[in-house]
Parts: sequence; C-alpha cells; structure tokens
Amino acid sequence: MKTSLTDYNTDIKNTWCPGCGNFNIHLALKQALVDLDKHPSEVVISFDIGCNGNGGDKIEGFRVKGLHGRAIPFAVGCHLANRRMCVIADIGDGGCLHEGIDHLIHAIRSNYDITLLIHNNENFALTTGQITSTTKKGKRMYAFPFGKTEGDINIGELVLSLNPSFYAKGFSGDPIQLTQIIKEGIKHKGFSVIEIIQLCPTYNPENSLDFLKERIAKVEKTDDLNLAKKRVINKDKIYTGIIYRNSKLKDYYSNLVSRKDIKTELVDEVKNYNVSNILNDLQ
Amino acid sequence: MKDRISVKFGGQSGQGINTLGGFVSKALKNLGYHTFAYREYPSIIKGGYSSYQIDFSSTDILSPSKMCDILICISDTALEEYLTTVRRNGVLLHSVKDYEFDSKSQKYIKNKNITTVYIDSLEITERQKAHSIMSNVVMLGSAWQAMNLDIKVLESVVINYFSNKKDVDIQAEKKCLEAGYSIKQVKDIKKINLPILKSQNWSKSKVITGNEGIALGAIAAGCRAYYAYPMTPATSILEVIGDTSLKTHILVKQAESEITAAQMVMGSMYMGARAFTATSGGGFDLMTESISFSGVSEIPLVIVLGQRAGSGTGVPTWTGSSDLNVALYSGHGEFPKCVMCASDALDSFELIQDAFNISDRFQIPVILLTEKHIAESIFNISKLPGIKRIDRGLSQNGISRYIYTNNGISPRWIPQSGKNTYLTNSDEHDQKGISTEEENTIVNMSEKRIRKLVSLKKILPEPKYYGNTNAKLIFVGMGSSKNAVLDAMKQSRKPIGYLHYKYIYPFKKEKLTQLVKGNAKIVLIENNQSSGLGKLIKEECNFYISNTLNKFDGRPFFVDDILEYLRK
Repeated sequence: MKTSLTDYNTDIKNTWCPGCGNFNIHLALKQALVDLDKHPSEVVISFDIGCNGNGGDKIEGFRVKGLHGRAIPFAVGCHLANRRMCVIADIGDGGCLHEGIDHLIHAIRSNYDITLLIHNNENFALTTGQITSTTKKGKRMYAFPFGKTEGDINIGELVLSLNPSFYAKGFSGDPIQLTQIIKEGIKHKGFSVIEIIQLCPTYNPENSLDFLKERIAKVEKTDDLNLAKKRVINKDKIYTGIIYRNSKLKDYYSNLVSRKDIKTELVDEVKNYNVSNILNDLQ
Repeated sequence: MKDRISVKFGGQSGQGINTLGGFVSKALKNLGYHTFAYREYPSIIKGGYSSYQIDFSSTDILSPSKMCDILICISDTALEEYLTTVRRNGVLLHSVKDYEFDSKSQKYIKNKNITTVYIDSLEITERQKAHSIMSNVVMLGSAWQAMNLDIKVLESVVINYFSNKKDVDIQAEKKCLEAGYSIKQVKDIKKINLPILKSQNWSKSKVITGNEGIALGAIAAGCRAYYAYPMTPATSILEVIGDTSLKTHILVKQAESEITAAQMVMGSMYMGARAFTATSGGGFDLMTESISFSGVSEIPLVIVLGQRAGSGTGVPTWTGSSDLNVALYSGHGEFPKCVMCASDALDSFELIQDAFNISDRFQIPVILLTEKHIAESIFNISKLPGIKRIDRGLSQNGISRYIYTNNGISPRWIPQSGKNTYLTNSDEHDQKGISTEEENTIVNMSEKRIRKLVSLKKILPEPKYYGNTNAKLIFVGMGSSKNAVLDAMKQSRKPIGYLHYKYIYPFKKEKLTQLVKGNAKIVLIENNQSSGLGKLIKEECNFYISNTLNKFDGRPFFVDDILEYLRK
C-alpha cells in the first residue's frame, strides 16, 4: 500500500502560534516524504529544541528530540549506522547558527548524505524572542530594546563559502515549492542544506507574508557557484529554489576507504569478532 | 636476591627512546621474563626529557619501580632528570659528550656507589661507517652488556624490526649493536644478579597497552563505529582502531569536537549499531550534556574517560585518578548511569565489553575510567581472556518505547523499516515518548528510570579481595593503584590485603562493610589529592576511611611507594 499523508499525521495537539510557519513546513515535509513513497518507519528525523523541536510529536517517523543545536551530529550518527534509512536533521536558526554552528560547517565539508532543514524565523522564539545572527539590525528584541550590537550571518553566503554540494532556500508561505525543494534535497546524495524562511507572526511580524511575497523570486537550480553567490547577497530580492547544486562531490561514506566494497550497514554487523590476528599485528 | 630488575632509557622527546625500550622489552620477554614498561614524556614533540622504563622479573609484575638498576641516557636533559632514580650500586651509561656532573650529582654517584660509563657512541658509529642515527643502537648493545644477557636474542629482535623497514642498512645496525655490546668498560662492570627464570616462561606471551586492550575489547564486542576528538591519553585508542580499520571495517571518524563525538555515538547507538568515544577530562566535560540526554532519552552511550593529572589543561602527559567525581556526577538532573574503572590491559579489554552490554541492556550512559598510566604502559599478558557474549536486550518490536516496568527497563527496538515508530525524547515524556509536564507522569517516569540502577546493582559483582585473609592492613582502591599494591605484596613479608573496585557505580558495599568491621587497618589508596573513592564510600556507607595514601604528583604509584608505606 502506498504511503499517504495521513500516515504522517499524529493525534498530538498542535501548540504553535496561529500563523506559525511550522504548520506549512511540516505539511511540505510530509508531502515530500509521501511523494518519495517513504514509509514513516523508513524515516529518522533528528530535531533539536525550540519551536521546530516541538514538532517532534506532530509528524510520524522515528523521531528524536535532542539537545539544542545538536540535531546535525546526532543525525550523522544515525545515517552512518544505517544508510537504508532516510535521515533528516531539523533545526532552527538559533541552534544552527549559534551553539551548533561548528556542526553545520563540518557537515558541509564532510558531505554526509543527510538533509538539513533550517527553520529560519530570525529569532529564538520558544525562549520568547531573543536575538539570533539572522535578526534584523535595529529590531527591538528581548532584553535589547535597541536591537543587536553584533553583525549578521547570511546563511546562504556561509554555506556557499564552504564548497557545499546542495543549498536551497524555501519559504513557509509557499509549501508547494518547499515540497519540491525538500524532495530534491532528500534525493541528492550528499549534505543538502535547506534554509526555510519561516513566518513568525509573534516575534517577527515585520517579516509578513505580503512583505516576503513582494521580494521573493524563484530560480531554477544551477551549478554555477558564482551566480549562486551573487543571488544570496542580493539586497532587494530573496531568491528561493535550489540555489546551488554540485552532484560531482562524493558523499562522506562513499569516500571511506575502510568501508569500500562492504555491502552491509553498521547495524547489521554487531556481533562478536575474533581479535587474535589484530593482537598479533600489534606485537 | 632481587626478583625484579629495572632498566630505564632516558632522552629527549623525539630521540627514539621508545624504539630502544621496545627492543629491550621484547628481547627480555623472548628470554622468558615477564615485563612491564612505563613511559614518561613531555607535552612537546622535540626536546625536554622522556623515558622508557622496563621492569622485568621471573614472576608477573604489573607496576613500575621508582628506582632503576641501569640507566641509559642519550641527552643531558635526561641525565639531569633521571640520575637520582638510579638505585644504590646501580649503573649509569650515557653518551653525552663533555658532560660534567655538578657537585650534587657527583655526591649522589659517590654515595650510592653508582658505576658511570661515558660511551662515545657517535665515534663508535663512525668507526663502523654507519649513519649517526645508529648511535642509539650502540647504546642498546651496551645496555644489554650491562645486563649480561645473550646478544643473539636482542640482535634477532632488532634485525626483525629493521627488516620490515625500507632503506635500512641491517649489517651496519648489527655492527653497531655488537660494538656497543663489546665495549670493555661496560664488560668490566660488576654484573647485576638477574632474576632466576622459573618453569613458567613468558617468551610466548604478548605485550599490550591499556588502550590497545580497550580498542581490542571494543572490536571484539561488535563496536562498528568510533567517533573521537584527539586528547591525551585517549588518542592512542583512535590510533589503534584507525590503523586496523582496513581489517575490521570499523568506521572511524575524527569529529569536530567532543560534543560532536558523543552525539554521533548516540545517533549510531540509537540506530542499533555499537559505537563509542574516548577522551580525557576536558573533553569529557564537554560531553556531560549528552550524558544527561542519554540518561533521560534512554539511548545507550559508552564513553571512555582517560584520566590525566590536573585541572584545566593540567599536566597533559602525566597520570592521575582524579576524575571519578566528574564521572559520577556528570550531567544535570537525576538519571541512572554506570561507572567502572580499568586497572590494567586485561581488564581494559574486559570492561569495555561489559560497558557495551550494560549500556545496551539498561539503556544508560556507561563511563569507563582509565588512566594515562594504564592507557600507555605496556603490559605483558599470556593471552587475552575469552570474549564476552554480546547481550543487548533488544526486542523485535513494541508499542510504547518507555513503558513502565518493574525493573525499569522498557523494551527497546531499533529503528527499521516496517517496525513501529516512536519518539525518543530529551524532554520528560510519557510512556509513548510524548513530551509532558504532567506531575504524575514526571514522578512515574523518573522512578522507572532510577529503578534501572537497582536492577543493575543486582548483577554487578562485589569488589575483589586480593591477598592474605588474615591481613593486618587492607588497602581499598581503584584503577592502577591495584598493580603497585599487588606487586608490593610479592615483595613484602607483611600480611596485607587489597580490596579492588572495578565496578564503581552503582556502588557495592557488602564486602567493604564486612572488612571495616574486622580488626585490620583499612587504608584508602588513591592516585589523587582528595580521595574521590573515599567520598563515594562516605556517601554510600556513611563511614570515613581516615587512613589514606594519596599521590598526586602526576606519577603513578610505584611499587616502592607501597613498600615504603608498609615500612612506616
């Protein structure tokens, strides 16, 4: 029987604010998985803590709600142990760009074959609206009435500076396009970074649906890195779609010499091993 | 007659001391002796002073001596550092040209009746038309002469080693070795009495470090991924597992941080593979949030904590046992965990296997403590113990991931296509894993988890007692302290005993409580300043052990330390 959207629904009551972008992000994720005919038992989603993490019980699958900022390395551990599973890391701009930014950088250079969804609502929302490195300059935030003192991090610029294999940008206000992007991300063999502009009517009302719709421009996917870099720094337009893809980069596991020609997954290999030959080698 | 002899090579870091020591260790073993090798080195690549000391005996030994019978030095820094570790009537061979002993050193040499021989090893090497690097081999030959041992045995070890290397002139190596062995001044030294070999012969035995024990144990236990960030003294586990990975096909990942390593381990364990990480104190501190996460989410996690001396970055390449507290109390909130402590290469091999079984079966974080002194010392073993059977307690499938049970263990099934899905949660959760703030659920779920500690305690063995049952003095300790005490037992006529804690937490107190009620003097022995094990005993048994033997100078307990304490 083919998987349907209802297979991904749970009976847990939603706790997101009305108008929260997470509703559509979940819808798009579910639809993408259904379109790819992934059964929930074939999917592992590693969430961190925040409004995105509160979605952990609102979608089916093998889900882990872990520590703030650590969704990526946990997902990597899952993926390396069993590549038969479709592994997705789900994180907010706070956890991804602050406490867990090292994981983002190293996952890009490692090119693990997992998909990363960054819910970018430009603030730490669950802790009631603190500054992140994507919060707009001058915007009044929790404990900082005059806004942030620090500069910004442009996610696209950061990702593209690291020789990535896949970077896309979606918008919670356009779940149809977002579904397509997530599908492409999952299918891509490598680390797929998907930044999602997430509406946050409670703490970031300035970024309204209308405001964003006026500025968004959809692009076709490209393997031209320079073009992609120009697009992500454009001040007037917000480009969405698959901003950059390089299918030539091999993923991490495929590069592992010790796993060459091994057909099984790590999870299949847990048994007692005789070590006497290794002990002899050490002499 | 002494039954153990100690020979020490001293030089600068990077001068090849470990190679020399390794040759002697192996040749002594091939002759039938039991050996124990102890290394000291600075936290620098070149320079400073480092040493490789081999103790050998006709019976098994597990610890180093403080003083050596023969010292061979190839640098002035080593001469300065190690001269006063030469025993009365001992021998010092050195190759430091124009070295002048200061008055204090001269006095020491005179008072202790030490025979000192300068060997112009470079000149001898030149005479053999060999490369200057072979001057080390000259010193090796001389050391062997000073021990009055058969050169053929050493020669075959050296040739065997170099025959695997490219571009080495083996004939020149051989000539240099012979030349060093034939030096008249060394031949004329009054020969030391060697231990008399008994029927038990160690020539077929193996040499293994504590960290090699951990690596081999992990491989044997079905560990399929190793994630780590380098940190002394855990780094050599990465080396062994990495260097052998073409044979074992284990996935080895050097992670971007200790936090990453712990998270990757948890990800792989959650999926049903076996994985672990190893670090030292500083890296362990970074892992503590993950330990708490493992506790509440019931995802297995195995961490090896290789202890070294000091706080902060401390004394990175030296030893100690001061991290029991951080292991015991790591992670916020209340959750069950298991802490165990290795003492030598054999139990390093066994305990890592236990760690996997306990972590899998009880779904808890397990911390295996080791020490720089165990991790990097070279133990002589007749063979490895049998491999422990893998015990994971996995279910085929289930309904609720965190269902309440009497023993606290909820059935766990691994994520797989076709199985029932579940939410694994770092938030407090209900039996299905759904986040909760409901008061009864919080209580019930906390109690369920803590019950695992009770279940685990039931299966853990009591600490092991060694020595005389009518002992007048009983040491209580953990880790490598055991080795010095057991070696001292063989040398002391006093009836002493030793109670060894291998499984530290949950704490087993029956045997200790019995001993404390007896007439023997109980002495806590710890390679730290503030007696972490003593504090745990106070917490668990409500009594203080007031007699303590502590050492926290970065050095391990030498057998001499114990003998000296017993003489007092």
